[in-house]
Amino acid sequence: MKKSCIAMLLAGGQGSRLYALTQNVAKPSVPFGGKYRIIDFPLSNCANSGIDTVGVLTQYRPLQLNSYIGNGQPWDLDSSDGGVYILPPYLGAGEKGSWFTGTANAIYQNLGFIENYDPENVLILSGDHIYKMDYAKMLKEHLEKDAALTIAVQQVSMEEATRMGILNPGPDGYVEQFEEKPKHPKSDLASMGIYIFNWPKLRQALIEDENDPNSHKDFGKDIIPKMLAAGEKIWPYRFEGYWRDVGTITSLWDANMDMLSTTLINLYDPEWPIAARSPVCPPHYAGPSAQINHSIITEGCEVYGHVENSVLSPEVVVEPGAKVLYSVLMPGAVVKKGAVVEYAIVGEHTVIEEDAHVGGAPDGTDAWGVATCGPDITIRSGAVVPAGAMIYTGEEV
Amino acid sequence: MRNYQGIIFAYREEPELRELTANRTAASLPFCGRYRLIDFPLSSLRNAGVLDVGVIMQRDYQSLLDHIGSGKAWDMALRSGGLRMLPPFGLPQYHNGNYNGTMEALNAVGAYLRDNSAENVIMMLGNTAANVDLSAAIRRYEESGAEALAICMDHIPMGVHHRYLTDGEGFVTGLSLYRHGEGEGFPSMEAYIFRKDVLLNLMDLCRANNQYLFHRDAITRFLNDGGRMAVYVHEGYANSVRSVEEYYDISRDMLKPEIRHQLFCRPVRAKTHEDVSTYYGENSRSVNSLVGDNCIIEGDVENCIIFSGVHVAAGARLRDCIIMKGCEVGAGVELNCVIADKACKFSPGSVLVGSPKLPTVVPKGTEI
Repeated sequence: MKKSCIAMLLAGGQGSRLYALTQNVAKPSVPFGGKYRIIDFPLSNCANSGIDTVGVLTQYRPLQLNSYIGNGQPWDLDSSDGGVYILPPYLGAGEKGSWFTGTANAIYQNLGFIENYDPENVLILSGDHIYKMDYAKMLKEHLEKDAALTIAVQQVSMEEATRMGILNPGPDGYVEQFEEKPKHPKSDLASMGIYIFNWPKLRQALIEDENDPNSHKDFGKDIIPKMLAAGEKIWPYRFEGYWRDVGTITSLWDANMDMLSTTLINLYDPEWPIAARSPVCPPHYAGPSAQINHSIITEGCEVYGHVENSVLSPEVVVEPGAKVLYSVLMPGAVVKKGAVVEYAIVGEHTVIEEDAHVGGAPDGTDAWGVATCGPDITIRSGAVVPAGAMIYTGEEV
Repeated sequence: MRNYQGIIFAYREEPELRELTANRTAASLPFCGRYRLIDFPLSSLRNAGVLDVGVIMQRDYQSLLDHIGSGKAWDMALRSGGLRMLPPFGLPQYHNGNYNGTMEALNAVGAYLRDNSAENVIMMLGNTAANVDLSAAIRRYEESGAEALAICMDHIPMGVHHRYLTDGEGFVTGLSLYRHGEGEGFPSMEAYIFRKDVLLNLMDLCRANNQYLFHRDAITRFLNDGGRMAVYVHEGYANSVRSVEEYYDISRDMLKPEIRHQLFCRPVRAKTHEDVSTYYGENSRSVNSLVGDNCIIEGDVENCIIFSGVHVAAGARLRDCIIMKGCEVGAGVELNCVIADKACKFSPGSVLVGSPKLPTVVPKGTEI
């Protein structure tokens, strides 16, 4: 049955720049913003945009991601003629199987899945972006401009532009040139890594690219430049609104802090809900000695201490006399009596024992950073984890 | 637990709950910030693997239907068996008015009971806040070899209740009806396991004799006829909600961490509808309070239970209140001992004061 547009979500990356947080899980399943995991944003955007078929390409440590997505029901992505599908790399009969060798190769390996739906267009998404976007508007513009490819772009500063993929539009507005991390950017339109392709054209490009021995099998490095060179119409879709790549510890921490400001991104908007598969827990409890300010607190939390400028996922415990400042506490984290956690990310079920001190306030030096404790760690009583430290699961501190 | 089916009595409106049950039954009363009372019996059954469950309703069951849906939250959305909502059917005399008693309610759904092949029936009240280890109760029932098992409490509950007297082996020797306060015997939680053939027989006898009360008529008859009933004592919190005062007191029990942890010692499942955490403002204050998700708390909250989706504006001051889903509390509002039903609006500056013994109930959707 023919669909106007289906989505393919690239969720296979290791997320190596999140270090301890992605030691055992794929980046899209990292907890975010209290109630969510990162992948909730693109999945909810799909559902809210009326895209009912989503293939999720997994590869690195997919177990938690698979069980999180499940049948897609929390996002209403469980319709009888669509829904969300987990697409791992697989072996064909007699083939020597291989992992996805690049973003384009990941889609190439799942040509069969896409052909099942015979869509007119395919939306390619990343599993590590935080934003609310109506893909239906982007698709409408893609069709109006009769583009082979539409790339969502955001205006950035010229300084940021040197670190991103930059699109240079011509006089007619269509893209003339694509530059990856240009030293001297000619425009300030940065690619957000969100693409809508005309499916027959993408299909052909993928097959040609697969046969090119010199290709990296990557959308940014290969597919887009080749389509430009072939004279295909590429349209930049300008998106204004909150959008963050959360691929690094600093950007993940920053984006979590952003959630405290409804003027940046409003998570309370009933018109565009971000859905999540969340455990059913009792409401959070603020104890007799609790002090909570400018923070996000989630079901199942028990707060007896002082929490300020922080984001608490479900079932976090902050004991009396403990202090949590400018920090992100993932599900089930425990901060015991007298412990201090500041400017830190604490992984799932990690326990900060009594009087331990994790992280430190910015000191103005370049060496400063957010302290990170991976999941399932115990930081021993009285221990000190300095600013910028990275503690892996299995380490003794 | 294929050989057990569950029945939850969810038809009672409990007039003493006044405005709180104007449009719902006691079983669908919002409780503890995000639950409905019926989540407790449903979860107890689910946790013991009893997935064939009938919910007996009679009137004003819209809110109950809404909440329970397909039963998916309790894994009871099954192809065969699963959750069945049982409005009055079959017998036209039950279509109007209230069931006179539990036996009448059971007779009204007799066909449902007979059609199911399970040999044992677990019966529970929809308005009891208790997390019962039914697996242990079933073990006790099976080991005792009795035809019935009464689930009792380890403490004297608020208000009127029935008590079972037992022999040294934990078998019932007598039933003491309508007790109040201290005394001998085990207070009944009004939850039972029955061999189904025995229960069906009692239903027939009660109907033939125009009797309808479960304890006074059916249990007394069963014991007099030499029926063997064992007792299982539920250790932990258990209280039924039958009046505004009980609702207020039982709700505020949840603010005590030791009681709350007892009640949530096994998972309590409920419909999930909130997809965003709660935000606390710069100058908010929240002390000894339970707060659901999707709230924005900018004011000052103490000894309160705040359901999801509530906005407490800056400068508002709430003490000893229960504020249900979707309420808007404007700037500078002062509320003391108030139970605000769903979606009430308190415009800025309004003041409402109840007393701990007589909390003020604000009906659903009221604008003040």
